[in-house]
Amino acid sequence: MATTTATITLASADLLSDPISFSTTAELTTAGTATGLSSTAGLARKTVTGGHAEYTLFTAANYTDDGANKVYLKNTSTTAAEYFDVSIGDMQMGRLYAGDWAFFPWNADTGSTPDADIKIDPSAADVTLEYMLFHE
Amino acid sequence: MATTATITLTSADIAGDPVNVSKTATCTKAGTTTDLDQTTGLSRVHLRSTTNKVLLAANAEGNNLAAKVYIINKATDPTLYCTVTINAQTIGKLYAGDFMFIPWSQTDTAASIEVAATNWTASTGDIPVEYALFHEDTDFLTNA
Repeated sequence: MATTTATITLASADLLSDPISFSTTAELTTAGTATGLSSTAGLARKTVTGGHAEYTLFTAANYTDDGANKVYLKNTSTTAAEYFDVSIGDMQMGRLYAGDWAFFPWNADTGSTPDADIKIDPSAADVTLEYMLFHE
Repeated sequence: MATTATITLTSADIAGDPVNVSKTATCTKAGTTTDLDQTTGLSRVHLRSTTNKVLLAANAEGNNLAAKVYIINKATDPTLYCTVTINAQTIGKLYAGDFMFIPWSQTDTAASIEVAATNWTASTGDIPVEYALFHEDTDFLTNA
């Protein structure tokens, strides 16, 4: 069993009239247990050279259905207008703009149509995404 | 009005070499370097519904605007989870202590963020969930 932790800190000194700052750390575990996740796809990069086109980053059928998997994505672009659309199955979750990152649970569901594959679609050519998966 | 989000992922033993990833993003409006200027603040609900409930209601005016959502399951029992869904598509299950931070495209009014205490029973107790939305639309509609 491995020990993997994820820490998030959200902070602003001036969004509100009082500062906000909250931080939490989660230990990444298998579904419903205190046992640490033991597998990772490693930190990787994907550049979609052709520009706007959907690319499957993670195929649900390759992972434990209903697992407590965790996904990290980061748009490495420094051009503010460049983004990746991030989808699960055929549902568009959100746009990851330059410098943005996302971290979320993924249950790799294959019991619905379509499968809950994670897909990205860049707004321009040669935008690079870094990504990592921790999984059961 | 800079709001920053920092993630740190660490593990000494999940691979042959340590994992140590740390990144900070400044939350900005779509396609710009202008800071996001709206937030719901940190809110808290106590889930006891095994069916989906709307946590953040999508607003068509928010389509393709930047919005960032933070959700954390504050339960301490590792078996208790909340299922997070957008537009009938399950994203994943937040187990006790787990959090998520995602961009949110309100592609249409069906794209609300919904949560369910899927394995709740009267004996498990409520599942406390905290959440915050950072966004750019002054007409955003939210509820809890």
